[in-house]
Amino acid sequence: MHRVSAQLALTAVALVLGFIVVLQIRAQSGAADLAGRSAQDLTVLVANLNTRNDQLRGEIAALEGELGDLRTAQDRGQTSVDQLREDLARIEGWAGLLPVTGPGVRVRIEGPIHAGAVDDVVNELRNAGAEAIAIDGIRDVPGVVVTGDPGALTVDGKAAAGVVEIEAVGDPGALGGTLTRAGGLVAQLAATEPGAAVDVASVDSLALPATTRTLRPPDAVPRL
Amino acid sequence: MTALTARLRALQSWQVTLAIALAALGFLVAAQLRSEGPRVRYTSQERSPLIETVVSLQRNQDALKSRILELNGQIRDLQGRGEGAAVLVRDLNDQLENARIAAGLVPLEGPGLVLQIADSTLPVPSGATGADYVISAQDLRTVVDALWQAGAEAIAINGERVTAVTAISDIGGTILVNYAYLTPPYQLTALGPKGLYDRLTAVPSFAELVRTRADAFGLQFGFAEPEKVVVPAYAGPVNLTAGRPGPPSQPPASGGP
Repeated sequence: MHRVSAQLALTAVALVLGFIVVLQIRAQSGAADLAGRSAQDLTVLVANLNTRNDQLRGEIAALEGELGDLRTAQDRGQTSVDQLREDLARIEGWAGLLPVTGPGVRVRIEGPIHAGAVDDVVNELRNAGAEAIAIDGIRDVPGVVVTGDPGALTVDGKAAAGVVEIEAVGDPGALGGTLTRAGGLVAQLAATEPGAAVDVASVDSLALPATTRTLRPPDAVPRL
Repeated sequence: MTALTARLRALQSWQVTLAIALAALGFLVAAQLRSEGPRVRYTSQERSPLIETVVSLQRNQDALKSRILELNGQIRDLQGRGEGAAVLVRDLNDQLENARIAAGLVPLEGPGLVLQIADSTLPVPSGATGADYVISAQDLRTVVDALWQAGAEAIAINGERVTAVTAISDIGGTILVNYAYLTPPYQLTALGPKGLYDRLTAVPSFAELVRTRADAFGLQFGFAEPEKVVVPAYAGPVNLTAGRPGPPSQPPASGGP
């Protein structure tokens, strides 16, 4: 008798527990914080997600092609050294381990500016699709941070020049347009950073250096 | 044997199970209640078609990213199995593996820190700005930069790996990382040497963030230093379309001096 009542109690608790777990998961996975957003904000969000999903589909198509080529080569008992080299250069360039050249924009910031505002510019360039960025000639990779007070900034621990120069490789129209559009970041900085003059110029060919950092985390191991 | 262990032994196993289940229940009830923050909540009846679109697009995106990770894994496997001109191929594969790890294309595990940042649960006083009481993209960027300064070696936010091209952006108060829409609370998983949290709290920008955002508006900061943290791989395009890897092509030398 005692056992039965215990089992009943356990069953009841398990039921309620399961119900609440589901509720909780729904609340987390759903767009719990979207309700207060304007239709305009939501439309921009939808556009961003659509663009990204298209990019991801493009990447999937490219990877499927690569995988197909690899399988064909392997079936013939070959290994494409050229393909390995091409892959290596693409990943090293993207990661910052190799220099990258190409068209893009150069942002010159003259006069004192907060480190956070420089970070805003870099983030906006990434958001607009920059493929590689350098700040004062230092390649922007994970771990590179702009710090210090206006007029005495440091980039990755090195004192910045009087004029901070940010170079970004990518579509110059998209990169420049995002920064300089009406109400864009350059317009906002004119109000929030009155001491700094921000100039954005398209450049046909930029040459960004490779990072000097070791990007392989020393304390980590790949998770299989 | 102490009195406590003797008493624990005397407990029936179902009592222990029940106690654990009840504790879990209490935790979940609390979590459910706590998730009612200053962000406006809604029920399914209130969902606008636009919100439905956002939710379903984000779900599509998650599926696409899983597929990318799967394909990357298969390519890595096949390339690793490559035979042929053994030394050259093995050397290239080692370099590729290193490059993938450096790029953030491989999940990593090691010592580290998990920081959780949640919106304020304080009531927003009339006349105050509601946005001050919720986490902004700028808050997250400040924390990420402070973590790098503290010596973090790899970081992910709610499963999105922070790479060289990762943007952390506000779209009308919602936060996108790698163009993925993230829901609060935000968990930053940072891999790095032991003592990362102590060094983080010594970074001036982090101390200032806690003072100006947590102390002033009630944003909630929590942390844990588990034995091991896992930072997932980046799942997205690894493309240079405008750019080209490698040093700039040198113009032909223009004669001697």
